Amino acid sequence: MRIRLGYVPLTDAAPVIAAAELGFARDEGLEIDLAREPSWATLRDRLALGHLDAAHMLGPLAIASALGLSGPQARLNVPMALGLNGNAVTVSNALWGAMAPESDGLADVAAGFARVARARAGEGRPLTIGTVHPFSSHSYQLRLFAGLGGLDLDTSVRLVVVPPPDTVDALRRGRIDGFCVGAPWNSVAVAAGLGRIAALGCEIAPDCPEKVLALPAEGAEFTAPLVRAVHRAGLWCADPENRGSLSSLLAERADLDSDAALIARTLSGALIVDADGRERTNPAYLRLDAATHRPNPDHARWLVAQMVACGQVAPGGHAADRAAALYRPDIFATAVTG
Amino acid sequence: MTETSLTVAVIDPSPARAAILEEGLRAGGVGQVVVIPDGPDLQARVASLKPDVIVVHLESPSRDVLEQMSGLSRQAERPVAMFVDRSDQTMMQAAVDAGISAYVVDGLRSERIRSILDIAILRFNAFARLQRELDEARSELADRKLIERAKGILMTRKGMSEDEAYKLLRRQAMNEKRKIVDIARAIVTAADLLG
Repeated sequence: MRIRLGYVPLTDAAPVIAAAELGFARDEGLEIDLAREPSWATLRDRLALGHLDAAHMLGPLAIASALGLSGPQARLNVPMALGLNGNAVTVSNALWGAMAPESDGLADVAAGFARVARARAGEGRPLTIGTVHPFSSHSYQLRLFAGLGGLDLDTSVRLVVVPPPDTVDALRRGRIDGFCVGAPWNSVAVAAGLGRIAALGCEIAPDCPEKVLALPAEGAEFTAPLVRAVHRAGLWCADPENRGSLSSLLAERADLDSDAALIARTLSGALIVDADGRERTNPAYLRLDAATHRPNPDHARWLVAQMVACGQVAPGGHAADRAAALYRPDIFATAVTG
Repeated sequence: MTETSLTVAVIDPSPARAAILEEGLRAGGVGQVVVIPDGPDLQARVASLKPDVIVVHLESPSRDVLEQMSGLSRQAERPVAMFVDRSDQTMMQAAVDAGISAYVVDGLRSERIRSILDIAILRFNAFARLQRELDEARSELADRKLIERAKGILMTRKGMSEDEAYKLLRRQAMNEKRKIVDIARAIVTAADLLG
């Protein structure tokens, strides 16, 4: 059986790319045609209208699509998560200099950011910070990061969306002062000498829900084999022994615009954070391991709470229950054990 | 249709397709049509143009940028919403099939947007058809060149006339139940490899 699976080029598309390219899908009798999508909005619409059979998708966007908050309302299931974490906040060298935190610790960094953001807002030229989509953990992590420094993101910072491959150029031209984006784009900005990784997403929100595998809800026959294939591919991706081959595969197939060595660092969590080559290691920076694959309804509830906090969803109501019902640990369990 | 009071922005990674849509909207009576290229200036240009409708191709990387500018965000400088007419699933499907999405300012009556979407769907489908025909013509030309080369090889190597060479190609194709161009390609490849 042949299916069309959409993805956006990011390190955490690894499990679906590996499933399609390394034979995990074929072992389940599936042939996956990978469709690289130019934006999350287009991926969402194509999944909602049946142009795609499955997608590597921002968890909050899958929820928003199914709840009719974003694009044409879709009937979706989330039978698997594709990993946790993987984002970072990167700021321009100039902004890092102005923040001048006493240490690399999150509290100091957030305080420095909040101080500069307040000063700039006071001068009538607020900081401009990039995110990837309104319905993304990136937007929520930026809000939490600002909150750590006592800053209200809505009133003090100009939030814009920058397509991840454009983030480096936007920093270079001074159009943005920083951004929160997934791997490998933070590392690409550092390697270009244009940015400083200020905070890791996994420090701002530990084990933060990230991409999921989203499928149409109409119990498609390929659901179980696809979940098994992506699960097994995910295990292969998480094995440190395979990092070298996986990095080369991603550099080649995912058009990540970066070399394999840089991608390998995002997989191992040994990140270079500034132009001087300072290294920071956090093994949880991007988690693809087995424990992250089960779709957790509590993650859906947490994401809805973030949507409420930034005004995307009205408080009260049943949004959290409806979102939690989309995440299907039962389908996952049956698929991987059955 | 008289939509002289409307401003429509067109965003499309293909300048040729954008030009065709621009022309179509003008001919349909839309007052102001502005093509805005994808890129770092897009948000500022949309904010200063203040279009009533934005027609954007699905292949544009700028769609997420427009979604941030929509009412989904408290920071929205110019609230626009993605045009999703739930009452008309066919229209939505036709738009997406043609590669179109639209964002509109709040309060614009949906029938006014639909006439614009109708033009966009017609123009984009016509463009896709032209593109397909062009691709077919190109590949036909490439096939013919390949057959000419194969005939030339047979004529030189086997001392055949052009007619005999063509007949040999055709007979081989019939015997193997393949296309003449496939046989020609095999001959050209073999000749390239064997020198």
